[in-house]
Order: sequence, then C-alpha cells, then structure tokens
Amino acid sequence: MTSEATPQQAVNAESALGLSSSDEILNRVGHVTRTLHDSLSGLGLDKILEQVAQDIPDARDRLAYVARMTEQAAERVLNATDVAIPLQEELAAGATALQQRWQDVMREPSLKSEYNLAANETLTYLTMAGKNTAETKALLMDIMMAQDFQDLTGQVIKKITGLAQELEQQLVQLLIDFSPAIPKKDTEATKADAADNSSLLNGPQIDPDAVDVVASQEQVDDLLDSLGF
Amino acid sequence: MANTNTKFLVVDDFSTMRRIVRNLLKELGYTNVDEAEDGVAALSKLKGGGFEFVVSDWNMPNMDGLTLLQNIRADAELSKLPVLMVTAEAKKENIIAAAQAGANGYVVKPFTAATLDEKLSKIFEKLEKAGA
Repeated sequence: MTSEATPQQAVNAESALGLSSSDEILNRVGHVTRTLHDSLSGLGLDKILEQVAQDIPDARDRLAYVARMTEQAAERVLNATDVAIPLQEELAAGATALQQRWQDVMREPSLKSEYNLAANETLTYLTMAGKNTAETKALLMDIMMAQDFQDLTGQVIKKITGLAQELEQQLVQLLIDFSPAIPKKDTEATKADAADNSSLLNGPQIDPDAVDVVASQEQVDDLLDSLGF
Repeated sequence: MANTNTKFLVVDDFSTMRRIVRNLLKELGYTNVDEAEDGVAALSKLKGGGFEFVVSDWNMPNMDGLTLLQNIRADAELSKLPVLMVTAEAKKENIIAAAQAGANGYVVKPFTAATLDEKLSKIFEKLEKAGA
C-alpha cells in the first residue's frame, strides 16, 4: 500500500485480493474466544484450565522420571549378570577339570608328585572359588538393590494416576457444561471409529480378564492352533 | 537344533528388551545377532542381506512390527524369512492379524527363556519339514 492510499482504498484493494473474508473469520473467532473466556471466567473454570496447563507438564516430567529410573535399573541388572555369568562358568569349568584330575590320580597307584600336583591344583581352585563366589554375591546384592526403583516409580505412578483422574473429572465437567446436545447415535459411531483405529496398538494388557484379550502364552498357542497355524 | 550360526535380527524400540532377547538367544547358542530399533531400520538392514531369522516387537515408532512383517512378505527377496513376533499386544485380533500377515510364531510379553526356546525350535522344525 502506498502512503497516499486512504483506509477505504486499502479495504477495497484487500477485497480485490479476497482477504476480507479471512478478516471476517478472524474477527468472529476472536469474538467467540472472548465469549468463551468470559463464560469460563464466570463459572470459575478458567482456574481449572490454568491448573490443567500446569498439571500436564508436571505429569510429563513424572513419567520421564519413571522411564529414566526403570531404564537405569534394567541396565544395572544386565551389567551385573554380564559380569556374574563368566564367574560362574569359570567355577563350573574348574570343578569339572579337578574332578577329572582326581579320578585319574585315584584310578591307579600314583607317584607322590602326581598327588602333590593334584592337591596344588585343588588349592588354586579353592582360592578362585572363594574369590568368584564373593564377587558373585556382591553382584547379586547389586541386582537386588537395583529393584529399589519399584518403590520410587510406584509412588510417582500413583500420583500421576490421581492427577489423571482429577483432570478427567474436570474435563468431563467442562464438556457437560459446554457441549451442545449431540444425538447419542453419533457419539457411539465416533467411539467405534476411534476403537477401530487404535485397536491393534494397545501396549501391555493391564487387565487379563478384559474381553478378547489373551491372558497367557497357552491361550495364544490355543488360538493359533484353532486357526490351523 | 538349527545351525547355531543362524543370523538373527532383533527388532525392538527398547534397548533393554533387545539386550534381553540377545542374551536369551546367546544362552540358546545363537551368537550371530544384530539389532534394529524400529521397522524402518530393520527393513533397511534386512535388504542388506544375510539375515535368516527375525524376532520383532509390534508397537514401535516409524514402522510397527505388523507393517514390517507385511513388507517382508511382500518383498520377493525376503518373503520366505521366518518372523517371530514377541510383543505385549495381547488382544485376540492382534494374534489373528499377525497370523494372517504370515507370522511364523507369536510370543506375548512378559515371556520366559523356555517359551522363546520352544517357539524357535518349533519354527525351525517346521522349516526343516517344509524344506525336506
């Protein structure tokens, strides 16, 4: 727009470009927003929305904490088993070798030097056994201690569950107060659609008694058998 | 028991679960194992060739396990590859959908080492029969 153009000319120019209808939409959206805001304030619901806006990041942070704690615990346990398994394998292999050695020595009259050799190997093995069992026990303690996340995450999850329940109640109240009357049929159809879209991605089944859910590997196998699988 | 050098691809978005499956396979004697974090990464590795067995999760970002299975079955090079689903998805329609898409087996999480061993043996047995 040039500096000489009057406001009226500007409107006409915009009109020519088809912009006036989008202005009208913006105006009306602004008006609706203001009305909604006033209504919500009048009912005290603006406080609830403010609370919701604070609670959601809080819940997100708590869930991130649960994910972090459980991952740490899993890493800790897997690291401990990685170390402990070779220690146990060494014990087993040493025992088998010593057993064979003593069987050979006992089978026929042997020299004192052969006995001494077997006895020395036994002492070496016993030293190794003492060291490996002590190390394995420390690793088992670490595995046990790594489960402490359960206590912490359990508490956090309980809080989030409470929070979710509160949010749900508040949002339902908001819907009851503001939703236009919707024919029941439509809501059911919408529900069915939503169920169709998400039905194959549900994650772990929390309730094994739910309809159309298998509760065990046996039931999976039975179902596949019945399909001729 | 099948050839212990069988090359496995373990597909799961959780590194912990990939590590557990890898350790279980190692315990069963299978040491030739690679990992992928979702269906897209898995498909790209599979197309690189050399894999003989896929163990896949279902619920993953980018490409889920069912779509991965469908892609494998639709690919001329990969279509015969055995696929074992190992997933927390436990609805009957999931199991039916996996069977229809051509899964060779279905293990529901949480699972035991014995269950994995049993399903793998069963799949190898069937493959040997089919090949004989």
